[in-house]
Amino acid sequence: MNSFIEVFQQRQGILLEKIWEHLQISIIALVIATLISVPLGLLLTRKKRVAEPVIGVTAVLQTIPSLAVLAFLIPFFGIGQTPAVIALTAYGLLPILRNTYTGIKEVDPALREAATGMGMNSFRRLSKVELPLAMPVIMAGIRTSMVLIVGTTTIAALIGAGGLGDLILLGLDRGGDVNLILLGAIPAAVLAIVLDLVLRLFERTSAKSGFRSLVSLLVIAALIALGPLAFGGKIQNDITIGAKLGSEPAILINMYKLLIEEETDLSVGLEENLGKTDLVFGALQEGSIDMYPEFTGTAIVSLLEEEADSNDETEVYEQARQGMSEEYGLAFLQPMEFNNTYAVATTKETAEQYDLDTIGDLRSVQDEITAGFTLEFNDRQDGYQGMKEVYGLDLAEVETMDPGLRQGAIENGDVDIIDAYATDSYMIDLDLTVLDDPENLFPPYQGAPLLREETLDQHPEIEDALNQLSGQITDDEMREMNYDVDFEDRDPEEVAREYLIENGLIEE
Amino acid sequence: MITFENVTKTYTDGTTALSSINLSVKDGELLTLIGPSGCGKTTTMKMINRLIEPTSGEVFIHNKNIQDYNIHELRWNIGYVLQEIALFPHMTIEENISIVPEMKKWNKKDISKRIDELMKMVNLDPEIHRRRKPSELSGGQQQRVGVLRALAADPDIILMDEPFSALDPISREQLQKDILSLHKEIKKTIVFVTHDIDEAMAMGDRVCLMQEGEIVQVDSPQNLILNPANAFVEDFIGERKSPWQTAVDVIIDQTQQHVISLNEFEEGAVPQLEAYVVKDSNGAFLFGVYKGEKVDMPVIEHGKTLTEAMSEFEKVRYPLLPVARNNSVIGTLSYKDMVFHLKKQMMKTKSEVIKP
Repeated sequence: MNSFIEVFQQRQGILLEKIWEHLQISIIALVIATLISVPLGLLLTRKKRVAEPVIGVTAVLQTIPSLAVLAFLIPFFGIGQTPAVIALTAYGLLPILRNTYTGIKEVDPALREAATGMGMNSFRRLSKVELPLAMPVIMAGIRTSMVLIVGTTTIAALIGAGGLGDLILLGLDRGGDVNLILLGAIPAAVLAIVLDLVLRLFERTSAKSGFRSLVSLLVIAALIALGPLAFGGKIQNDITIGAKLGSEPAILINMYKLLIEEETDLSVGLEENLGKTDLVFGALQEGSIDMYPEFTGTAIVSLLEEEADSNDETEVYEQARQGMSEEYGLAFLQPMEFNNTYAVATTKETAEQYDLDTIGDLRSVQDEITAGFTLEFNDRQDGYQGMKEVYGLDLAEVETMDPGLRQGAIENGDVDIIDAYATDSYMIDLDLTVLDDPENLFPPYQGAPLLREETLDQHPEIEDALNQLSGQITDDEMREMNYDVDFEDRDPEEVAREYLIENGLIEE
Repeated sequence: MITFENVTKTYTDGTTALSSINLSVKDGELLTLIGPSGCGKTTTMKMINRLIEPTSGEVFIHNKNIQDYNIHELRWNIGYVLQEIALFPHMTIEENISIVPEMKKWNKKDISKRIDELMKMVNLDPEIHRRRKPSELSGGQQQRVGVLRALAADPDIILMDEPFSALDPISREQLQKDILSLHKEIKKTIVFVTHDIDEAMAMGDRVCLMQEGEIVQVDSPQNLILNPANAFVEDFIGERKSPWQTAVDVIIDQTQQHVISLNEFEEGAVPQLEAYVVKDSNGAFLFGVYKGEKVDMPVIEHGKTLTEAMSEFEKVRYPLLPVARNNSVIGTLSYKDMVFHLKKQMMKTKSEVIKP
């Protein structure tokens, strides 16, 4: 509890900003969903034949996992608030649409006939009779949508939309830092409750004034949404650098920014914590970001869907560089020294107990141990799929989990082996042993800036600026810096600056 | 007032609801539409305010085809009372009543005055009830408001679709009386759909009996009983609950042999009868004569049931009483008339137990 209060006090400023962002994204999505669903629902009550198919479509939208919707939208809308709002809107449609349709449809036919028989025209009947009577049901739909949207908005942080999800993601990345996760989750829940109360208040008044209260609700919501723009007023930068989720990419892009701004007149914007490879790569292709640090191995296996021709670092880089240029028109600048390849790690005790030295040794205990792999590793040719082929492994129990949760899992003994990256800071912290890879299954994973060729054509000066890092930063240095951010809670920007100054790449 | 010319209604599934109806409703009359379910009585009524459009044929109001009226204005001038009452539950009583006047753009003061006037007419205290919601009223009170809502903008025509079928017997009877006295006062043309033959006979100036989309007979209640067009009419009227529920005007003696004018009385042209009645030149009842003496007699309203008439007889010692319609003596009713009627009914429904 004390540490939670500490975390809270440390991040008070950012928390308010995140809550405001969260509120804005949620409300914009809710308003748009309402503006689409209520009129559509009303229309459907007049065109009953198409009603069920249309509602069915929104139901299908609801079944698509939110992350998938976000990934799907990146090629069209890039990253940031726009795709987030679109995805959240899609999520909010069904409850409002269905309740509007049902609410109006369930109005007593006798009342409808009375209204018609008394000479009300269609609009008057709708506004004076049908809407006021259906309003409690419609409002219930809006409230359901609101809770759904406020909850799902946390995921939108993965595509750089901001909001309380940023804190939760950060917490997950920091080995499941409960305090950080709570700092994001509790305000999100409170936000949902408060908004629900507000909507309920409106619902009560809506029984009387019907149409008017819906309109006033929309106006207030629009004011909040368009009010002081917490995230809308971003300065247009010359170059935007993205990064996958985690401290290492965050440190690297801060270095890129510092170097580019030191050597050139260009301004650089950063989009940290953009989720996993697919999301960031999608954003790069779409052009929302101009550059992000990628690993040579990932470029070959995940992006080019090839196998590495060799395990030599230079050859692998060359293969990746050529492939990225030919296939995607992307430039892959020179890599840094550290090799953040996959590793299979276990605790010292487990290694001793079962006498494990290499990955192949796992065969003898494959029915007894539980593996905790990331979804990505589990699925990759240069990950667990390769392990199965090359080392003839068939582990009885493989649990897939978020990268941030592996450390906690192995620390608690829930799993016996995990996949890890060579530069992960917790390897030292938890005193883990890396199993040897005698067959060289894991290709080299050297970090290098991956950028759009247009960007390079426009600003050729950044190549030299970034290549200063070529061959720099050892495994140890990288791991140290990661440790500083993950365990010492230091700012990635500060850590990056410190390294560059120490190595004489920028001036103090 | 309202005229149907060869009106037919065929639904898309091929069922015929009405086949070539010809009907005319007179100005100021209360016409009841009755018949077994599915006979087309409600369809006929709903064609007047165009809730249902005919497949062929035409409907005229004031000799103008209703298709030539603006549909909303047409409806503003036709009051509509529904079986389900259908007061808008989210509106207060006054809001419910003021809907049509508001659409007709009456000013607020006139509307408010009208609401007071209407509510007092049916014994609802405006002070107490104006701002209540319909759910705070009893069923009978609700339908009374339903009737007021239909009357609010002073329409020429009022349509009532089984308005009392959802009410308990006591409220129903009270409302029937209210409507009859309202009708007498305000002289609106009322088309009243019911499935209750007693109600149809008691309320209607004329009764329109329908069967399978056709009109079988349109006639006064009395003629319907005395001269049924066919066996169906006879049977349908025979289905009445009890002969004691018959309206008195069906069985009164209309030969006028027990009625003389004041002139005749003063000239000594009196009938050699135990009892008779004397009316003035306007037809209004003056006094009765019993065993040669002038006596005061209670006047029986023509729409009263036999039971009600009987209770009047019980109060006095005369064998015969005058029956009036709109203050005009239309005949007399005697013990003998009643006994003959009851006997006739007994013969028709031998097995039925007849209770007063």
